[in-house]
Amino acid sequence: MSEPTSDPPAEAVSEPPGIEPPRVLERSLDRGTLLAIGLRANLLQAAWNFERQQGLGWAFALEPALRRLYPVREERLARLAEHTAYFNTQPTLASIALGAAARVEEERAHGTGGDAASMARLKAALGSTLAALGDRLFWFSLRPFAAAVGVLVAMVHPSHGWGAWALWLVYALPHLALRFGGVGWGYTAGPAMLSGAFRERLERAVRWLALMGCVVLGVALAWALAPGGEPRPIAVQCALAVGLGAGLLTAQGARPSPTRWALAFGLLGLILAWRFHG
Amino acid sequence: MKEGAWLGTLVVGGLAALDGTPVAQTLASQPLVTATILGALWGDWSTALGVGVVLQILAASTLPIGARTPEDYSVGGVVGAGVALTIAGGEPFEQVRQAASLVGVLAGMVAATLGVPLLRWQRRWNEGLARWCERELRAGREGALAESQGAAVALAFAIGLAVTAFWLALARWGAVRIEHESLRLAGAWHLLQPLWLGFGLAQLLHAFVQRRLERAGVFAAALVGAWLVIVAGAP
Repeated sequence: MSEPTSDPPAEAVSEPPGIEPPRVLERSLDRGTLLAIGLRANLLQAAWNFERQQGLGWAFALEPALRRLYPVREERLARLAEHTAYFNTQPTLASIALGAAARVEEERAHGTGGDAASMARLKAALGSTLAALGDRLFWFSLRPFAAAVGVLVAMVHPSHGWGAWALWLVYALPHLALRFGGVGWGYTAGPAMLSGAFRERLERAVRWLALMGCVVLGVALAWALAPGGEPRPIAVQCALAVGLGAGLLTAQGARPSPTRWALAFGLLGLILAWRFHG
Repeated sequence: MKEGAWLGTLVVGGLAALDGTPVAQTLASQPLVTATILGALWGDWSTALGVGVVLQILAASTLPIGARTPEDYSVGGVVGAGVALTIAGGEPFEQVRQAASLVGVLAGMVAATLGVPLLRWQRRWNEGLARWCERELRAGREGALAESQGAAVALAFAIGLAVTAFWLALARWGAVRIEHESLRLAGAWHLLQPLWLGFGLAQLLHAFVQRRLERAGVFAAALVGAWLVIVAGAP
């Protein structure tokens, strides 16, 4: 596929001399290829490392497109090796970057795209922009929201697996939809995908999730204080209040991590149990 | 049955290590989900979910941002529920199950914390793999890419499985001692479980509110409203 797939339009003949008519590029990556990229995007972080981060997974995910675009083996291997270089972004939204990169790679194969350096610049720009959007949406909003919903459902129905289902569905449905759909969107729109409308939609989702998260946490705390309408013993309510206060205080600083604080509370609890319980 | 449950727990440990970072990242590796699977495997929902809920609320504020290596709650969650179920396995007494839950949560947190250097080692090993892959591709070996991906996945699975096996063996070894101390441990669980729950809820609340008054107001309104509905609606 290294040759242009479409001839210049017939009207081009009438163009003034010296002005080249715009070339209409025929899209050569079919749905199957885009689906294969989406499937392989699940392994984007398989060989995550400090040096190239998602680089290897990126090249692996893009391979079906490169296989179609570069039938000459040597050329394809050179492109693949190029793509193993550093890349990092939020893993769900990486699909959009993969689609956009497949489109640019297609233009490159047809001789209308840039070179290796421009591809590296594009990857860096897509990676940082999508990371900024995706971290806020998936890591700071959707993941805690899914956890809060899961914990609430598990507290209300402690003898069923509904909490796990709720957590998994709330997160995995949008995650998988974007992972598979994102490749197609990125390919159709190219790097312009990151325009204002898309950003605006994600920002709105972040705000909505934060508000809904506050509601879910309010209900979860009310249920923790009085499960099924039966208020828990005062000692338990006090422990819950102490935990809340400690959590709000320790959340002001990034270190020590919440896990280390929780471990410290655990050890303190054990010491107290040994001291006063026998 | 027990042998099957142990074997299943080991496999869940390996699969959770995969879902955590290397494969798919669907949150199927979150402590609540893996605890639910283990609860079904061992036939003990209450112990598994008791541990799963606490570890989940703590894991929720542990985020894998950028190049940061966070605590490994994927394997930690399986270790926590697995240890608790191993100790509580078949015990008729509630206090032993509560003691097992406490030990499970602590084991899960320790395993998650100790998982950080292990993950870092794994990621450094992957650096060599990536360099090897690029060299092989430039030398004309197209299959090197799939091979290196496969090797990284196999390593992650093996580590998850091995760590889970280590902790289950430790739990089996220490089960009798924990049963002896179950009265004290159960007492500690009664206070620590709500304390950890409150601590985790507060961490999440802080993440959602982000010093915005209207969000704090929404939380307060939901708390009061839900309290009234729950208490007034109780039989």
